[in-house]
Amino acid sequence: MSRREAIDDGAESRGAADDRERDAHPPTLAVVGSLVASAVAALSAFLAAPLGGALVGLATVGFLAGSLRRSPRILSLAAGVGVIGIGLAGYLRGAVEPLLAAGVALALAWDLADHGISVGEQVGRETRTRRNVAVHAGTNLLAGGLSVAVVYGVYLAAAGNQPVAALALLLFGAVALASALR
Amino acid sequence: MSAGTADGDSPDDDAANRGGDQTERTPLRRSETGRWDGIAGVALALVGVGVVARQPGLVLTGAVGVGYAVYARIGEAPEATIEVERTVSDDTPAPDDDVVVTVRAHNVGDAALPDLRLVDGVPPGLEVVDGPARIATALRPGATAAFEYTVRASRGEHEWEPMRGITRDAAGSQERTTELATPTRIVCTPELSAGGDLPLRGLTTIYHGRVPTDVGGAGVEFHATREYRRGDPVKRIDWNRRARTGELATLELREERAATVVLLIDARESAYAAAEPDADTAVEASVQAAGQAFTALLDGGDRVGIATLGPRDCWLSPGAGTTHAARGRETLATDPALAPTPSEGRFYQSLWLRRFRRRLPADAQVLFFTPLLDDSAASLAHRIDAHGHLVTVLSPDVTAGDTPGTRLVAFERRERLRELRAAGIRAVEWGDRSFPVAVARATGRWSR
Repeated sequence: MSRREAIDDGAESRGAADDRERDAHPPTLAVVGSLVASAVAALSAFLAAPLGGALVGLATVGFLAGSLRRSPRILSLAAGVGVIGIGLAGYLRGAVEPLLAAGVALALAWDLADHGISVGEQVGRETRTRRNVAVHAGTNLLAGGLSVAVVYGVYLAAAGNQPVAALALLLFGAVALASALR
Repeated sequence: MSAGTADGDSPDDDAANRGGDQTERTPLRRSETGRWDGIAGVALALVGVGVVARQPGLVLTGAVGVGYAVYARIGEAPEATIEVERTVSDDTPAPDDDVVVTVRAHNVGDAALPDLRLVDGVPPGLEVVDGPARIATALRPGATAAFEYTVRASRGEHEWEPMRGITRDAAGSQERTTELATPTRIVCTPELSAGGDLPLRGLTTIYHGRVPTDVGGAGVEFHATREYRRGDPVKRIDWNRRARTGELATLELREERAATVVLLIDARESAYAAAEPDADTAVEASVQAAGQAFTALLDGGDRVGIATLGPRDCWLSPGAGTTHAARGRETLATDPALAPTPSEGRFYQSLWLRRFRRRLPADAQVLFFTPLLDDSAASLAHRIDAHGHLVTVLSPDVTAGDTPGTRLVAFERRERLRELRAAGIRAVEWGDRSFPVAVARATGRWSR
């Protein structure tokens, strides 16, 4: 164990020495992807309800600031603002479809920005990271798309039969199941 | 030996087979990144608000959030089942040569690695001059990622440290670090260039050489005259005096003898100092100068040895001849005691001094290469000198003068030099000027 720690220390001091030359900012692709996704989120939320769209737009600025300052905390805050924006848009009787699109796009935006920060920290900005970021964005979109497909499908199928309460119960079940899995 | 050529069974061997027995994988740690923490709470809050407000849109959005929560929880960070193959363009480069390092990472596992970051363990003594020694990618089973970077070779033997492979699961909620060790090394041995004439002090052996002594005999330089004794060579009779006074007198010439010299290089941790972060350290400058001195002295017929002042032991007893020259060159280039980064371990000066004195031949003089950054180096010079081994201190100047702290260090060092000179120890310092130029300048001031 002590040997292991020594190795870790070595790596960290090496990392510190590297930082003189290495640009630890997130890769451009991640930042741009995150901004595009959050712009899409803002637009969708704006279609649902303008006020909510404004808040998601604020989240876009937060994502940019978080990426530039390499702060996951700012990103979380921005994501929180975005969620509030979407919640507000939903509360103000926004349509279902734009809300779902905004939710998926917001999740993608936050995920890419946060991923970009960790990649930037570990391998730096000049490194070849394109494939890594693209694969990450792809799996995130796949997960979001699948969720939307399931949820929207259930919604369409169950429309009229008190879908809201039933769906909510179903969700609690899903969360309980997911927690039990791990 | 580069990794790529270490093993080659058949020409159609692919990277997977070749790498199979090369990379040693050591799992280091697994951790949760916690980046999706709270997603389930946010999702359920949205659902709750949606239920209360009777807004299906909100409930559905919250449901999608639950989908993300599930996404974050399924799967786990795969182990980095990577075979690393590292090829260097030249495994015996000259100093300051650019060496291109090509790394091929091959996924030999059955699982895809959706998020793989590789950080190569570049030896601490080498500087990466082009391209980061890192990559972030995703690898299917059987896929290969390659990247290359350039390092600038520096004196010494450099062994690559294990590469670090950091893998995450697709959602990035778990992380696993693996060490991937593939042995690669380069050895960089500089040619020793002969530095100009290095003046030695008067402590010599009985052998003929080129250090002028105060002993009369055969030589070139006039020393004294004495009265003629039978058997003196006719050539050395002072015929002018014979013509003037009628007496026979014999010219005594300064005898030139060989010296035994030990080049002592300060390689304590304090000597690994440089004026700027990426400039050569004092040890590097000392080794370079010692290399020039070594060649020059050996060419002059002196017997030269090498020793280091540091936690690791290094001793090459004084000798002469081509084998000795080769051994000296190798010692200066690759001895671990003179590595480009400080050696580990504690240094006990009194123990070291006792051992050094035991090894030092009685008629040896010492050329002490030290940046003189602490008092113990100066006091050591005094002590060796006091034991009858004439010491010449050769000090590379690595002090900078841009902050009050560094200016103080420079001032203290100048004081030490002054004290050494006051005590009759010769001292040469060189900074921007090359070592031979500094020696030539200093020689003008010295009397024999």
